[in-house]
Amino acid sequence: MAGSALRRLMAEYKQLTLNPPEGIIAGPINEENFFEWEALITGPEGTCFEGGVFPAKLIFPCDYPLSPPKMQFTCEMFHPNIYSDGRVCISILHAPGDDPMGYESSAERWSPVQSVEKILLSVVSMLAEPNDESGANVDAAKMWRENREEFNKIADRIVRKTLGIYIRE
Amino acid sequence: MRAVAISLLSMALTTVVLANAYYQKKQFYPSVVYITKSNPSMAVIYIQAFILVFLTGKVMRKVFFGQLRTAEFEHLMERAWYAITETCLAFTVFRDEFTPKFVALFTLLLFLKSFHWLAEDRVDYMERSPVISWLFHIRVLTLLFVLGSADFYFLQHSYLSTMAVGPSVQLVFGFEYAILYTMVANIAIKYVLHTIDFYSEAPWANKAVFLLYTELAMGLIKVVLYVAFVIIMVKIYTLPLFAFRPLYYASRNFKKAFNNVILSRRAIHNMNTLYADATPEELQAADNVCIICREEMTTSSKKLPCNHIFHTACLRSWFQRQQTCPTCRLNILRTPTGTRPEQRPQAQPVPNPFGGGPIPFVNPFHPLLNQNVQVPIPDLNQAAAQPPPSAPPTSTTQGTTQQGSVPPPFSMPPFMPFPFLPFMSPPPMPPTNFASLSADELRRMEGNERENVEARIKCLQNIQVMLDAAVLMMNQYSAAVATSGSMPSTSNTTQPSGDNVSSTPQDSNDSSKQSFEANVSDVSNAENEADNSNTEVHATSSTSEVSANGVSPEEEVRRRRLQRFQQPVEQQ
Ligand SMILES: [Zn+2]
Ligand SMILES: [Zn+2]
Repeated sequence: MAGSALRRLMAEYKQLTLNPPEGIIAGPINEENFFEWEALITGPEGTCFEGGVFPAKLIFPCDYPLSPPKMQFTCEMFHPNIYSDGRVCISILHAPGDDPMGYESSAERWSPVQSVEKILLSVVSMLAEPNDESGANVDAAKMWRENREEFNKIADRIVRKTLGIYIRE
Repeated sequence: MRAVAISLLSMALTTVVLANAYYQKKQFYPSVVYITKSNPSMAVIYIQAFILVFLTGKVMRKVFFGQLRTAEFEHLMERAWYAITETCLAFTVFRDEFTPKFVALFTLLLFLKSFHWLAEDRVDYMERSPVISWLFHIRVLTLLFVLGSADFYFLQHSYLSTMAVGPSVQLVFGFEYAILYTMVANIAIKYVLHTIDFYSEAPWANKAVFLLYTELAMGLIKVVLYVAFVIIMVKIYTLPLFAFRPLYYASRNFKKAFNNVILSRRAIHNMNTLYADATPEELQAADNVCIICREEMTTSSKKLPCNHIFHTACLRSWFQRQQTCPTCRLNILRTPTGTRPEQRPQAQPVPNPFGGGPIPFVNPFHPLLNQNVQVPIPDLNQAAAQPPPSAPPTSTTQGTTQQGSVPPPFSMPPFMPFPFLPFMSPPPMPPTNFASLSADELRRMEGNERENVEARIKCLQNIQVMLDAAVLMMNQYSAAVATSGSMPSTSNTTQPSGDNVSSTPQDSNDSSKQSFEANVSDVSNAENEADNSNTEVHATSSTSEVSANGVSPEEEVRRRRLQRFQQPVEQQ
């Protein structure tokens, strides 16, 4: 019998393949290792990220689901809640107790009730509605607040880049 | 590519040096003497030696590990970097003994260490892979044997040489190999545990406990070894700076293991004494899936005071982290004055109408909720249709949904009321021996003997205590209503379960929130009856659908789920 973390990840993978949420694909990079996943997230419609397909990596801890996974976009991203190296900073990915930003209530934090699907849906909604108070990327947060036009332009460039369309600036 | 170029270059240089020496001296021994006397030649030879070691390492890695995973490689590089810096620091202490032999021994140590690290990573990997081949077992077993024998040999060697010659740099090697030896033991134990788990039919619940104690024992041995090493080094040489980082990490790991063991023991104790086993009916009524592992609950499940049910083993490992209900985050700690650091974060506000924080009030009563609900006192049952302790929470929040002595498993809202009010006076402790009134005890209350009268009085006292408690709870409840001016409406009280879903903080001003809320309150009745997990899955699909802005297959799925939720309501 495999470990409980592995069994739960396999169950979630099965669930995600059988009943995938719209605009999200996720699964292990290699089926010999269920603790490293790859996800493709399409930008939510009606936002500046619309049309983009953003690849990300999910790394699960040995004690999943007691501890949350880590998520990192592997493409270029410009977003108030995404660090410049692609790491995603949303409360669902933080265990209660560690609070890098000091603003999150524990109810939004990680607990075994959460799942990969919920994380990815949260990320989609984060793309649609950035939280400019969290400030994983301060420049992006500032631009989102003060110069939306410029922000949209950068987002558009990133969207094109993820689709392999390059435009001259 | 670069590695190949460097090894080729070094090979060529060595050939040139050897050829040159032989060309000058024409004989073996004079050539050797010539090379050892010439510094540039020696440098080339040393470099060649390092490259040979490196190549051997590569070959052995291939034999024992095959292809390294990226994470393993990064881990190896990181640890190697620390090991090399520490070695350089060690060189400063033993600069008098700085000889080629010394360097060679350190290289060998580093070489063996790197295989220990890889073996550790590889055995940990067993937990992550659904496929374990026979090749894997053969590799791990031979590797553990080889490493164990090597460590033992060098340990013995340094012990004998220290005994014979007195303290020297061999002391350092002795300790290093002793540490490595415990590491081999640790890896071997883990390997055995993982293997047993892997080949057993049913999930092995106690494996986590075994791992915990292994960790504790190994941590203790390591800390003792390091402390002894530092003390000896201070006595003989000087402060061994290079041992401080590993000492720090060893003691930190030990502390962590110790804490884990304590928390685990407490969790097990609480589990055994405080929470009732879930009955088959309760399992039936619930969705029957443990939200922690997403597997069916057939045996050994526990019900928390908030009526959420989980596997005993799953709950134990979760309680080691946090003393909250995984589903509703109810703080289930019995003692509100606990000083564990894990409690702090939960004192932060939870988005429920009453705020959050430790909930002192619930806990004294949960034994009642669990057992004493069906108090078989005929008079009382007539007078008050519901047993007092469980009445306030259920009736105030959703009293319409059910009547009856046994609350349905998920009838409780995902929070308990009265969380933040301080106590004016401690609530009376409920009687413990109240639930099980057997026919014999009932008979004892009849009659006119002194004993019968006493039994009746006792029973009445018990009832009084329970009524006092109920009054106190009602008072606190009305105080809570009065103090929280902005009491949310009923549709909002169902919100917390939905909030778990839209967990990004920025959702609060989401335009889709309106429809989402409507959606949630729409099915609020169904939600209360159904397993939280399902509601949340449902709710999430509705958010995604809102953002997708159109009819989609999800619509259909949602409708079907909705229907599923409503069935239990109708059955009731
Ligand atoms: Zn479980
Ligand atoms: Zn609960």
